[in-house]
Amino acid sequence: MTPVTFRERANLDIGTHKAAANDVSARRLHKKRAVAAAEFSAFESTRDRAREIRLHTLAHLDRYLGEFADSVERLGGNVFFAADAAEANEYVTRVAGEEGVSLAVKSKSMVTEEIELNHALEAAGVEVVESDLGEFIVQLAGDRPSHIIAPVLHKTRQDIGSLFRDELGVDYTDEASELNAIARRHLRPIFLSADMGISGVNFGVASTGSIATVTNEGNGRLTTTAPRVHVAVMGMERLVPNPADLMVMFDVLARSATGQRLSVYTNIVTGPRRPGDPDGPERLDVVIIDNGRSRVLSSSASEILACIRCGACLNVCPVYRVVGGHAYGGVYPGPVGSVLTPAMAGAEGWADLPYASTLCGACQEVCPIRIEIPRMLAELRAEMGKESGFGWLRTGLAAYSRVASHPVLWRAFLSAGAVFGKAAGRDGWIERLPFHAGNWTDYRDLPAPASESFRSWWRKNRAT
Amino acid sequence: MGDYRRIVSRVQLFVTCLVDGFFPDVGRATVRLLEAQGCEVEFPVDQTCCGQPAFNAGYRDQARSIAAHTVAVLDETEGPIVVPSGSCADMLVHHVPDLLPDDPAARRVADRVRELTAFLVDDLGVESLGRSGPDVCVTYHRSCHGLRNLGLSGQAETLLDGAGGVDRRELQGTEECCGFGGLFSIEMPEVSVAILEQKIENIEASGADVVVGGDVSCLMHIGGGLHRKGSPIAARHVAEVLAGES
Amino acid sequence: MQRETFLSTVTAAVAWSRLPELSETDPGGLVPDLSERDPVDLFCDRLAGIDGVVHSNRDPVDVIAEVVRAHGARTYLSWDSEWLPFDSSRLAPLGLDRIESAFEPGARSETQAGYMEVDLGITGAEAGFAESGSIVVRSGPGRPRMASLVAPVHVAVLERSAVYGSLAHWSTARADSISDAANVVFISGPSRTGDIEQELTLGVHGPKHLHVVLI
Repeated sequence: MTPVTFRERANLDIGTHKAAANDVSARRLHKKRAVAAAEFSAFESTRDRAREIRLHTLAHLDRYLGEFADSVERLGGNVFFAADAAEANEYVTRVAGEEGVSLAVKSKSMVTEEIELNHALEAAGVEVVESDLGEFIVQLAGDRPSHIIAPVLHKTRQDIGSLFRDELGVDYTDEASELNAIARRHLRPIFLSADMGISGVNFGVASTGSIATVTNEGNGRLTTTAPRVHVAVMGMERLVPNPADLMVMFDVLARSATGQRLSVYTNIVTGPRRPGDPDGPERLDVVIIDNGRSRVLSSSASEILACIRCGACLNVCPVYRVVGGHAYGGVYPGPVGSVLTPAMAGAEGWADLPYASTLCGACQEVCPIRIEIPRMLAELRAEMGKESGFGWLRTGLAAYSRVASHPVLWRAFLSAGAVFGKAAGRDGWIERLPFHAGNWTDYRDLPAPASESFRSWWRKNRAT
Repeated sequence: MGDYRRIVSRVQLFVTCLVDGFFPDVGRATVRLLEAQGCEVEFPVDQTCCGQPAFNAGYRDQARSIAAHTVAVLDETEGPIVVPSGSCADMLVHHVPDLLPDDPAARRVADRVRELTAFLVDDLGVESLGRSGPDVCVTYHRSCHGLRNLGLSGQAETLLDGAGGVDRRELQGTEECCGFGGLFSIEMPEVSVAILEQKIENIEASGADVVVGGDVSCLMHIGGGLHRKGSPIAARHVAEVLAGES
Repeated sequence: MQRETFLSTVTAAVAWSRLPELSETDPGGLVPDLSERDPVDLFCDRLAGIDGVVHSNRDPVDVIAEVVRAHGARTYLSWDSEWLPFDSSRLAPLGLDRIESAFEPGARSETQAGYMEVDLGITGAEAGFAESGSIVVRSGPGRPRMASLVAPVHVAVLERSAVYGSLAHWSTARADSISDAANVVFISGPSRTGDIEQELTLGVHGPKHLHVVLI
């Protein structure tokens, strides 16, 4: 049976080698971030500034979107506003048709995963090849990415060696450098002959129409340089007002994501090839996508749109570490996904995601934008509790609330607990409880209630 | 925030629901610690719970009802309100005023709330307690809400290190969540326990006989996991260890 | 969708948004304190730390000759001589074939097919960031993007006086200049990936070797 809840999906992966690989990698990335953060003396103030910039942009998003579109068009680029995935896919497919594109190469982009652009283009007869090494592996395997910046965190080198042997017809190797060389050889002619390059957008700059893509491999640069047509697909929230603000984002993004001071290629494209330029794309189309984002903006989860997709909240999250990315079901895993997915798509099917957290707060602590993820998780629980599958809590909590709001009932409750504690506890521990309480005792022992409550002791010994 | 060092005499004990019903020893130890510092401890008898279980589960009306009661009870008292739990203190300081925006008493109460170890170290200036009790080898787990939401920064460790007869070992990953998460522990028990296993590995690797924390909720989870696997390691609240009761 | 319809939806959403209040306090400086280090020394250390090779106070032609020998390079892609901070006619004795990089729109695939064979890319760099070991490479007439991207070895020549303390130092003076060219890139070391078990591997899609000559 296909798992439909977070708990079911998580239980498929907990304890597997996939989850273990995920845990090791997430911890390693987290450690690298900590080193980079400690070393950069301006890090905390830069985070504060980055938060200001992102929240300011969201508060004036309509204005900055208009300014950004004007800037891109002034440079000779085209801008298309897509309300949803269908409109975006239809537009990109139309551009491919106009330009006679048969092969498109893509650099890593979460938003194109979200709208399933590859399916739409392939249905229209356009071959789409992922060029980020991790995404290339995911595409070959027919799998899904499990981490925002490290898509194959869940795969071992042996998994990848077998995959390349089976899909690319090469000899088996599990040497990372050889696997890498195989991918380079395979992808190089594709880059140089593709008619269309499709990239995501890390940041768009409203005042200049610039588009920043940040990669380590160089695929982002190749994708936006070699093909004749560059299509940049951008979630509508991914703007900053001006170039100085962009630099602030760069100063926190790579440090938070991988612990690098800057990624290898921090690439800024401002319009298509200009007169006299020796190379670069002739045509640039920027597709700006809503697809539920205006719904998020008008909700209690507005702030999650300030996210810059570094993945730091995943790496530090105790839940993500033990379950991996696939348990989250949607495109965006981890704490950010637990807020973003239900806020974008609605409660149906996703209402249990806000519960996939201990509210430990580690995510907010490492977020470069200091996004209040735990606050939003708690608010989404308040909004979606009924549909979460945890409705059984309501009866118990309603009763508990009544009891805990009346001291007389509370005293009676504690007295009953003391009686139960005397009767039930073998060595003071309870090993088995019925109904949902069994969710505790199936996995842990529960201390029995005390035979004398604190207040009872107080009354006998201290009360005057 | 006032400086209680000069004026301390009377403090209010908000003992928390779990201590009241499950861990009264922690309450008694807290009373002894405070009295040893010259505090006159009062226990507002109509207190119940801070409302956090309902709040974190998303049941705000239910949480509000409990919080309103607790605020009304505490607002009738005077002096600092000492709580032997970082998590419940965080609830009273941060979330209750948000739940009751129109109730000025919620803000007044929030301003008086102190987590126990922070009260001892920061407000009373205690560093060494003159503990009398059996020698014990401990390791300390920093529970999340006290650490991140209240900004506790090692007060418990300071007290443990200054107490006689306590050999404290470092706990690898002490700032990582234990996986309890309130009702999360029964909503998603497999995930909760998978996180707990990592915590237990680190506790065992520390070589300590007792894992100490500032929140009985996390300790109930950690202790329950240790007991289920037959581990000899016990889970104890920092107040109990400081009072020499373990 | 019409731009107006889209933006009016956003305007409505902004009006309903529940964004946190911003604190009024100035977050303070964005420029890291690097006062203990000479920028050029720091640049050398940091670039070496991310697997770049720095050649300080060397003749670029000597460095290129060494690189050519070490890699058995036969062809190269380069910026035009007027954009390079050294006399590139002195490269002639090395016997390299220069691959043409500028093309008319119709000749793209033909030109780019030739890139499969490029051994070496030669460019200038308009600035460096010491703190991150980065170089700033700007495209434009006579300065193809591919020269810093497509060959397995990239040699960039940078003047010492153009080394800034950090990105933030550069940003203060130069951030707005990003819109002066269709492409500006900050390159920090050779192409790398950690996608396979986070094992560092160099030269995935971009150059595997990055040499920066400081003059």
